[in-house]
Amino acid sequence: MTECPTCAASVANDEKIVGEIFPCPDCGTELEVLTTAPFAVETAPKEAEDWGE
Amino acid sequence: MKAAVVGGSGYVGGELVRLLLGHPEVELTQVTSETMAGKPIAKAHPNLRKATRLQFVPRTELQPTDVTFLATPHTESAPIVPGLLDGGSLVIDLSADFRLKDPAAYAHYYRTERTDTALLADAVFGLPELHRDQLRRARLIAVPGCISTAAILAVRPLAAAGLLGARPVVIDAKSGSSASGRDAGPAGLHAERSGVMRAYAPAGHRHTAEIEQETGATVALSCHAVEAVRGVLATVHAFPTEPLEEKGLWQLYRRAYGEEPFVRLVHEADGIHREPEPKILAGTNFCDLGFAADPHTRRTVVLGALDNLGKGAAGNAVQCLNVRAGFPETTGLGFLGLHPV
Repeated sequence: MTECPTCAASVANDEKIVGEIFPCPDCGTELEVLTTAPFAVETAPKEAEDWGE
Repeated sequence: MKAAVVGGSGYVGGELVRLLLGHPEVELTQVTSETMAGKPIAKAHPNLRKATRLQFVPRTELQPTDVTFLATPHTESAPIVPGLLDGGSLVIDLSADFRLKDPAAYAHYYRTERTDTALLADAVFGLPELHRDQLRRARLIAVPGCISTAAILAVRPLAAAGLLGARPVVIDAKSGSSASGRDAGPAGLHAERSGVMRAYAPAGHRHTAEIEQETGATVALSCHAVEAVRGVLATVHAFPTEPLEEKGLWQLYRRAYGEEPFVRLVHEADGIHREPEPKILAGTNFCDLGFAADPHTRRTVVLGALDNLGKGAAGNAVQCLNVRAGFPETTGLGFLGLHPV
């Protein structure tokens, strides 16, 4: 378990993998898995205007 | 448990009848109406066709029963409550007659003189989220008003945490037309109501007293009528004594309501339903709460949304009954709403 950096909700690992992006169950913020042991997440970067060029 | 509804032909009464007919622990045996006595329930509430063979009876024919719901206009409940209590009935009053503890507040907001101070003190304010333990022992339950319910649930965590100090909170409330009841009047004419965005009480609304009593906050309430049949949205503007970030707001409101079956926290990162919205709550007993931090003005915005006939009246009354009777609190209140609607 870890904590959503936006709303502090408890977030479970549930067999997620590094780099996986998933929504926080409470506030819906897109989170990215940094490490699985220990389980750590950060707010996923939002797509900027110049991405994809 | 046998139940009666007094004043069953109005909108709140109709919602009570609908919920009680679907409640597995309740047998609805009497519904009174002075104007529709002798007529079938569905004559007033066509959604209840084939749901019951009950007919409205005049109040003079009301028999003692286990629980009596009063969906009566303000000032009409107070004279009949003592007799109902003496007859051994649990009384759940949806009028404003027993919500306030201070008789002076009745004189100020309702222009009524109250001498039954013992009953005012005895009544339990019918909001399970605040008074669950007292409701378990209550014999007279005073269900709060619709705007009050949304506003109290929104303000209370900030006030209880001591974050408001002496600063007032500004509450901007919008409500649908059913909140003003079924009685015909010029304000309810289609020509007047259609497309409306009317400030009907920019200051001095009666619900101010309830909100202040239950939160301890100083309340500046403004109320507006909007183009909707059901729904209340209360937008609270608070200026806490210390700045609050959104993560702290989540933690504060999660501590207050995380285990509550009918309060949901809604403040999502994206999508079109990011914040509470009354529209999807029609027919439900939910109060959705959302919030936002505004560092520019050191303001905290809290949003409370509900169905004025649901969590704002009849649904909350049934929830109070469930608490008082020891039924699972969600019994008969499982409807999740409609989407789209």
